[in-house]
Amino acid sequence: MSRAVLELQGLNKSFGALHATRDLSFCVNAGEIHALIGPNGAGKTTLIQQIYGALKPDTGHVLLNGKDITSLPVPGRVRAGIGRSFQISNVLMDFTVLENGIIAEQARLGQSFRFLRPAFDDPDLIAGARKILARVGLNDRADQRVGDLAHGERRMLELALALATAPQLLLLDEPMAGAGPEESQRMSQIIETLRGKLAILLIEHDMDAVFRLADRITVLVEGAVIASGTADEISNSAAVQTAYLGSE
Amino acid sequence: MSAIRDFIGLVGDGVKANQTLWLLVFGFALFPIFSYFADLPFWNDVAMRIMLLGMAAMGLNLVLGYGGMVSFGHAAFIGIGAYCVGISQFYGISNGWAHLGFSIVTCGLAGLVIGYLALRTSGIYFIMITLAFAQMLFFLFVSLEAYGGDDGMSVDRGEFGFIDLYDPLRLYFLIWCALALVSLALMFIVRSRFGVTLRAIKSNESRIEAMGLSPLRFKMVGYVISAVICGIAGTLFASWQEYVSPDIMHWTRSGELMIIIILGGLATLAGPLLGAIVFLLLEESLPMLLGAVAPAYAENWMIIFGPLLIMVVLFGRGGLTGIIDRLSGTRGNADHKAGPR
Repeated sequence: MSRAVLELQGLNKSFGALHATRDLSFCVNAGEIHALIGPNGAGKTTLIQQIYGALKPDTGHVLLNGKDITSLPVPGRVRAGIGRSFQISNVLMDFTVLENGIIAEQARLGQSFRFLRPAFDDPDLIAGARKILARVGLNDRADQRVGDLAHGERRMLELALALATAPQLLLLDEPMAGAGPEESQRMSQIIETLRGKLAILLIEHDMDAVFRLADRITVLVEGAVIASGTADEISNSAAVQTAYLGSE
Repeated sequence: MSAIRDFIGLVGDGVKANQTLWLLVFGFALFPIFSYFADLPFWNDVAMRIMLLGMAAMGLNLVLGYGGMVSFGHAAFIGIGAYCVGISQFYGISNGWAHLGFSIVTCGLAGLVIGYLALRTSGIYFIMITLAFAQMLFFLFVSLEAYGGDDGMSVDRGEFGFIDLYDPLRLYFLIWCALALVSLALMFIVRSRFGVTLRAIKSNESRIEAMGLSPLRFKMVGYVISAVICGIAGTLFASWQEYVSPDIMHWTRSGELMIIIILGGLATLAGPLLGAIVFLLLEESLPMLLGAVAPAYAENWMIIFGPLLIMVVLFGRGGLTGIIDRLSGTRGNADHKAGPR
């Protein structure tokens, strides 16, 4: 009954002799939080890059809502409905929090090719930016320069910017990386509020967070899917235990 | 009516936010009065050169300062703009408005082609490819014997209808009007939605892609605008100099423009103009000063000029506008600047 937002069909990607993505197929359904886990070097980020459009698969297809987007470049995929937060905070460091929101808002409205009115004084853009920031509770930091924010707040801002384009699929690449326990908890809470509203593909090393948040989990080892299922199914899977703990 | 009032309001806000720039622009408007009473007509000529180079530097600053694209070939557009006068006159077109029109179209197209190819690269490759294009055009004009080749061609000042450019003051105010219009246009552009997107691309290109925008399109438009501004400066330069040669687009001029911008303050509106004033005044006065102190060394004035520039860059964070901001305790000039405040 649940509809696939993202469908990967037989993706392959090699870098020289390294086969980073092997014949990979799976779906992310509408409204679900789908975690992608695997040991270091399993090819998680390579896969995210192919879904996002920063890397092209050698073979296979990426489908968003049934439409083939394999040949779309990054901006086109974002407009088609993919949002992303990066492994390393990717925000506009030289601007204030509010200015980050304003630039996201004008991009969302498709108004970035206007040459006359000052953008940062525009009341409509400011109101839109405030809404974007409100989703992650950053409004009281609006006038702060992003370079002066704490690490966790930057991650929140990045999430807000990723949500600003109203994506149907959100790619979260280690949103908890480098965050303290409090910040991680706060991030979990915000991700929790998104459950059901959009599909989320979550890469995360914090297994507590993964098992708490994910509706389904896909395990990647050496570029191939070795298991996919609910949290219980995955934690009881022999194949996963072998991959993570070794076969001894 | 309300649209006009709206526009005037926008201009007013912009002027208030960029006081240094408009002080300088209006200073240039009043300068001929000063030079008349002080009986220094020669300095009108210097002022015109400052305005022309300042204008070109402002154009380059849109991509260099605001867009973070280090173009080392913008002298090419000054040259194309200047040759628009020379080549038009060669074929009997003496109307100055036509020269300006040709210049805008040609520089726009050249900017589009060079930008399209060069903007696919970044960093050192971008610097080199823009320099390569400029050198290509330089040697193209050197080899065009019909248009004077190496020696260049002398030109008459363009005919701007009722504005007789052989009246030095009218030439002065034509150049001033161009400077004021360029200042006004850039003032709007850098604060606009387009301008902040360009600055955001400089700050973090991949975040702009993640917002669904294609950075290349913004960079191209910025590149074309800056090429056109340099072209306009070049066209007026030819009328001012009454002479066009490949020398006007020598690569050292591209470097000069960059030094002017860095001296004045990257990504500020007033910076390039202030930089041009200081740069050219030093260039004019240092040989004289040095000549008075140590006549034998007058021609080695660069020995003082170089270290002075290095001092400003090293110790005046943000160039001259940065120093002004710190002295006045505001960040007026840096207000629309992406970068360390």
